[in-house]
Amino acid sequence: MDSGGITVAALMQQVLVGLSRTTILFIVSSGLSLVLGVLRIPNVAHGSLYMIGAFVTYSVASFFGQTTAGFIIALAVAPLVVAAVSLVLERGLLCHLYDREHLMLLLFTFAFTLVFGDLVKMIWGSDYRSLSAPAIVQGSFDLGGFPFPRYSLFLLVMGPLVALGLWLLTNKTKIGKIARAAAVDREMVDAIGIDVSKVFAAVFVIGCYLAGLGGALVAPTQNITQGMDHTIIIEAFLIVIIGGLGNIWGALLGAAIFGLTDAIGILIWPQFAIVFPYTAVVIVLLIRPRGLLKAIW
Amino acid sequence: MKAQSAGIRKTGAAAGALTGFLLLALVLPRFYLYLLSLILATGLLATSLNLVLGFGGMYQFHHSVFYGVGAYCLALILTRSGLPAWIGYLAAPLAASVLGLVMGLLTVRLSKLYFGMLQISLGSLVWAIVYRWYSFTGGDDGIHGIPVPELIGTSTGAYVFAVLVTAASLAVMYCIVSSPFGMTFAGIRDNPERCRAVGIDVTAHQLAGQVLAAFFAGVAGTLFVTVEGSVFPDMMFWTLSLEILIMCLLGGWFTFFGPMLGAAIIVMLRTVVGIYTEYWTLVLGLVLILLIFFLPEGVLGILQKGRQAGGKDAAGN
Amino acid sequence: MLRVTDLEKSFDGFKAVAGANLHVAPSEVVAVIGPNGAGKTTLFHLITGQLAPDRGQILFKGEPIAGLAPHKVCRRGIGRSYQVVNVFDRLTVLDNVRIAVLAREGRTWNLLRPASGMCRDETVNILESAGLAGKAGRICATLSHGDRKVLEIAIALGSRPELLILDEPTAGMSPEETAATLKLMQRLSQEMGLTLLFCEHDMEMVFSIADRIMVMQQGRTIIQDTPEKVRADKRVREAYLGGGDTCSA
Repeated sequence: MDSGGITVAALMQQVLVGLSRTTILFIVSSGLSLVLGVLRIPNVAHGSLYMIGAFVTYSVASFFGQTTAGFIIALAVAPLVVAAVSLVLERGLLCHLYDREHLMLLLFTFAFTLVFGDLVKMIWGSDYRSLSAPAIVQGSFDLGGFPFPRYSLFLLVMGPLVALGLWLLTNKTKIGKIARAAAVDREMVDAIGIDVSKVFAAVFVIGCYLAGLGGALVAPTQNITQGMDHTIIIEAFLIVIIGGLGNIWGALLGAAIFGLTDAIGILIWPQFAIVFPYTAVVIVLLIRPRGLLKAIW
Repeated sequence: MKAQSAGIRKTGAAAGALTGFLLLALVLPRFYLYLLSLILATGLLATSLNLVLGFGGMYQFHHSVFYGVGAYCLALILTRSGLPAWIGYLAAPLAASVLGLVMGLLTVRLSKLYFGMLQISLGSLVWAIVYRWYSFTGGDDGIHGIPVPELIGTSTGAYVFAVLVTAASLAVMYCIVSSPFGMTFAGIRDNPERCRAVGIDVTAHQLAGQVLAAFFAGVAGTLFVTVEGSVFPDMMFWTLSLEILIMCLLGGWFTFFGPMLGAAIIVMLRTVVGIYTEYWTLVLGLVLILLIFFLPEGVLGILQKGRQAGGKDAAGN
Repeated sequence: MLRVTDLEKSFDGFKAVAGANLHVAPSEVVAVIGPNGAGKTTLFHLITGQLAPDRGQILFKGEPIAGLAPHKVCRRGIGRSYQVVNVFDRLTVLDNVRIAVLAREGRTWNLLRPASGMCRDETVNILESAGLAGKAGRICATLSHGDRKVLEIAIALGSRPELLILDEPTAGMSPEETAATLKLMQRLSQEMGLTLLFCEHDMEMVFSIADRIMVMQQGRTIIQDTPEKVRADKRVREAYLGGGDTCSA
């Protein structure tokens, strides 16, 4: 605990822990960034969808007796459930509000944070749940005298996969290209006869899918509780802002800054570890008020 | 002359309302006095938010941090120092406005959404410190059983204190809103670019507005301590900030008394709903959704519009 | 009074203003003309401080003002109106102008006295000269487009500028409103001795009021001279007048 003896190995271990945390943060905040960049909606409910993703993962995996197969099924199903919820939300309500100002959209999505929060309490109760990682990625291996969880390694593989998938989606597919064009000039895309509304719905659902995926991936690493929506959403917003609004690579960079400062903070000053990432955010924004990488708007 | 008689009428109405509220202290049972005090504290907080939100057009996403800092400042002085209580009551709003100044210096030059987001991050930083610093702030437990001065320590005393402080604060804020500063602020809300073009230093005015709003949020914080006798970190969590934003929206954020009305509705609703169900936030969420779809101008906003449309086009003062 | 030399400004590699030169003498009426996208509005933004130039000099009353914040430029004595209506939508017409008057008098920091009694006479005077006195109590958002354009000018007058810059003051106005605005501008120039700098697509109006005309094309100043000389200039004819481009407004 004494900060005098921070060994290289301990530091290395925390860096790896930070990087696996970065994966989760990146997946969640890239979804948020996508929605912010293209639809210009500061979706506060994003954190709730993440929480729902985690709870659904728990339930599905438990249904199959927390086996490896069960976890894989849960990993596939939970984000889809979240995506379905978000599709209903977007087509049913949100799409009528696109001309409102940011503040209204923010409050509107906050309303869903409130509603989802209580719905989760109704369905899963107020106790926390925990899910163990599937057998193949359970336990840890030795890293210079320190144990490193296999699941973290699994996350370190997932992160780049999702980043690559997102890059392909936004750069190589038609919908991605339309979405990027719409982010810059909505009316132009409208004018050339593309139904922007449908593109928006798709982007929103994809963004929320990522929230669900983040929740599913985080489920075995921590207690699944009420309130995890409140924490993640603030972190995700900050990551998006410091990375550059709407910029996927910015989200990756921001997530890395957030994850690493958090992990190293735990090593230096456990009690106030939480202060480190926030301070990092403040410093970044003081130097570059519009984020590190180019913001879309 | 017309304006003068209107002024007298307004003063008369205010004095009448004040007397009425004070007389309630004699007749209402303790629980209702407590509830009213809570409404006043929350309403004052919402009104101070609206000073920058509705009248200044600033995306003040994390206003409750000033409320919390004011409350904690008073609580810490009362529990941990030998200083007389009145120093605590003075220091609390000042501490809040200093924080407002510091945060304002960092944030006001940013555009709307970025302003709001940086404010949330700075506010969350403050919250995190309070939340973790067990030895000083009591951490997530907060501080309870705060020794409030005897005179205002009873429920009647606290109520009378809340009424007087709220009345004084509202009076000052009303003056500010109708002053040249307030008009300039409204101009900045409608069109900051144009304000600069007519020679107004927009950033400086926004900074000043921020400090003022933080000051009154700090005052509201002292009321909360007086009424509840305790503080906890949730007072400066960002969800409370959005809840008071809802109050402003519900009452009508282009009106002066809207936020107070919104706070009254929300606090009462919470109390009533709380009797029947534990799912209060679900109800609040549903109320908010309906509000955004059907009443985006708020209750007072709609009333005002109706009056303007229905009545004579009451000429420009 | 105002002298602009070799001004340049580019956005992401596109040179919006690429060598603009302009000279405005006291109590002169100067018009800037040029096809759409010639850089007129950008030039005005540069003068009034909305944008900072990349290169070049702007002297106002002999002092450099390039890169100064807009509110400081205004306090030096330059007022402006906007091409797209840019007013305070939720305030009354009276308060729209009053804000400018209060700002000029440095009274915006007054926190406690009610604003409703302040600067009333001057504000009403301005509204009268602009022909808006009858609509003083109206909320701005409810005005017609023409009235809002006039209010644009009235707000600028509230700053009591020495040099008034008008960005397409009659854009979107009916012929009657255009005529009234033209008269207002003439009155400002002749009776109040204001120096006017404006840009406009309505050539008839430009040639009827301007003392001198500056022609811009692709961010560059082609010529600045009297209306007769500009009309006769070969380069202008080629670049602009001859091209039948005048209807593009």
